[in-house]
Amino acid sequence: MTITGEIRSSKRRSGPPRLKITSLEVLCGILVLALLFQSRLVDLLDVPKLRTASTVFVAICVQAMPFLVLGVLISGAIAAFVPASVLRKLLPSKTALAVPVAGVAGVALPGCECASVPVARRLMQQGVAPAVALTFLLAAPAVNPIVLVATAVAFNDTPMMVVARFVGSLLTAMVMGWLWVRFGKAEWIAERALARLHDHPGTNKWAVFAESARHDLVDAGGFLVLGGLFAAAFKTFVPVAWMQTLGGQLVLGVLVMAFLAVILALCSEADAFVAVAFSALPLLPRLVFLVVGPAVDVKLIALQAGAFGKSFAFRFAPATFVVAILCAVATGVVLL
Amino acid sequence: MRRETQNILLVLLGGALLKISFSGLYLRYVQKGLLPLLIAAGVIMIGLALFAIIRDIRRGKAVEDDGHSHSSRSTWLMLLPVLAVFLISPPALGGDVVSSAADTNQTQRSRNLLGDLPSGDVIPLSMTEFVTRTAWDESGTLDNRRVKLTGFLTRADGDTFVARLAISCCAADARPLKVKLVGDVPSLPNDQWVEVTGQVVPKSASEKNSWVPSFTVESSTPVAEPVEPYES
Repeated sequence: MTITGEIRSSKRRSGPPRLKITSLEVLCGILVLALLFQSRLVDLLDVPKLRTASTVFVAICVQAMPFLVLGVLISGAIAAFVPASVLRKLLPSKTALAVPVAGVAGVALPGCECASVPVARRLMQQGVAPAVALTFLLAAPAVNPIVLVATAVAFNDTPMMVVARFVGSLLTAMVMGWLWVRFGKAEWIAERALARLHDHPGTNKWAVFAESARHDLVDAGGFLVLGGLFAAAFKTFVPVAWMQTLGGQLVLGVLVMAFLAVILALCSEADAFVAVAFSALPLLPRLVFLVVGPAVDVKLIALQAGAFGKSFAFRFAPATFVVAILCAVATGVVLL
Repeated sequence: MRRETQNILLVLLGGALLKISFSGLYLRYVQKGLLPLLIAAGVIMIGLALFAIIRDIRRGKAVEDDGHSHSSRSTWLMLLPVLAVFLISPPALGGDVVSSAADTNQTQRSRNLLGDLPSGDVIPLSMTEFVTRTAWDESGTLDNRRVKLTGFLTRADGDTFVARLAISCCAADARPLKVKLVGDVPSLPNDQWVEVTGQVVPKSASEKNSWVPSFTVESSTPVAEPVEPYES
């Protein structure tokens, strides 16, 4: 075990070297304490609201983990088996042209938003222009076939909803890509996000694959949990029913549904079923809900902050929010 | 966080996923179809961690993590779902969600659902099908038929309802389905699961009462919470 790694990560430099407490001891301590106070913990959570919140929290984590795992596997595979030169050849050399290609390529990633964050970061590390990777990040969760089929099943009375969702989400992703080409600054993205993994000469490709996937999983897992915590809290303590009644007016309805999409952080494969249930609302606010949700929500903001750094996420998320609302409204006015 | 600690966390989290998969508890949180993905995710997490552990042991030291060893403190949060699953094991959602959700039965018209009812004296129906039929089927196929519904009891404004939640992905997107009970209303506590047998009050679901039909109870029996608490 390297001592430097320990000191850097445990932040407990002050103690005498013999009594060094590393994260390993902390973990054991937490586990022992949790076991000792288990019944106290359970009693503490025995309030209906907290019980609901804890169920929703576990549900969001459990639901998202397989997709995060899928994402890190793809990311690891790109790191190990797809050389940067291949990616360069696949994409048009002009970034502005590569953006729509990346948007359409999102069709190929069958998963929800948790899967696309590690993949997008890996693409950047492999030398793909940030604008292109970000377009892929926004498009993939919204335009893939699984999500579109789910939308078609939910809105079986209004098939135009599927078309509108596809167009609105793709438009959002491409507009954000082009905006990044024009205004984006590389320094907003945390340095560690773009640092390439060093290729140890002679390292087995499968080892690179497993190590990259493991590293991404550890990196993103905590932020996914953080997003789940926020979403569970909002879902339990924000009066959704009351907000729904606010949605009677069209303008207010659009804003309320956009806001709900952000705080509820539903998986893009399920949000259509929730949107169809807001039956008191006209179609346009519900389309906004479907376009905003996969592009920006609390879970995704947490994941992005983890992958690309805070100063990126706090610029990118609000911009995406506005662009997604505008694109959804424009699409809805034309198509619905 | 040290690499060893990360690996242990991964094993714990993967173990938590496998535990809820094999014990069937996952049905409290997500939809049935997710099971293969959950097992795969748990196995892969543990596999990735074991791969790293074995690699470190073979080399006799932790691999220097390519300048990433400063991995953020957020990784600690991965312990939360582990503790929640192993120690608290949160229950399936219940009446708290129903009373706090909009009081509308959220159904959609479905062409293929409204076929003929099966024959027989007592027809067990899912709450989804029952509520959908009362809201959309104008031909009155349910009238004068004896139906059995399964759900939990919940009360509001002096009325008693039998309710059930439907999910399409995970418990975060649960939608309530409610049926108002009249007649021989069971006096069991809230959140008690029951099977109620009886008949729909014809044309009792309307836009005015948010498509909540009334149901004349003939008999009711308390039952244990079903393995699959949600409808999908």
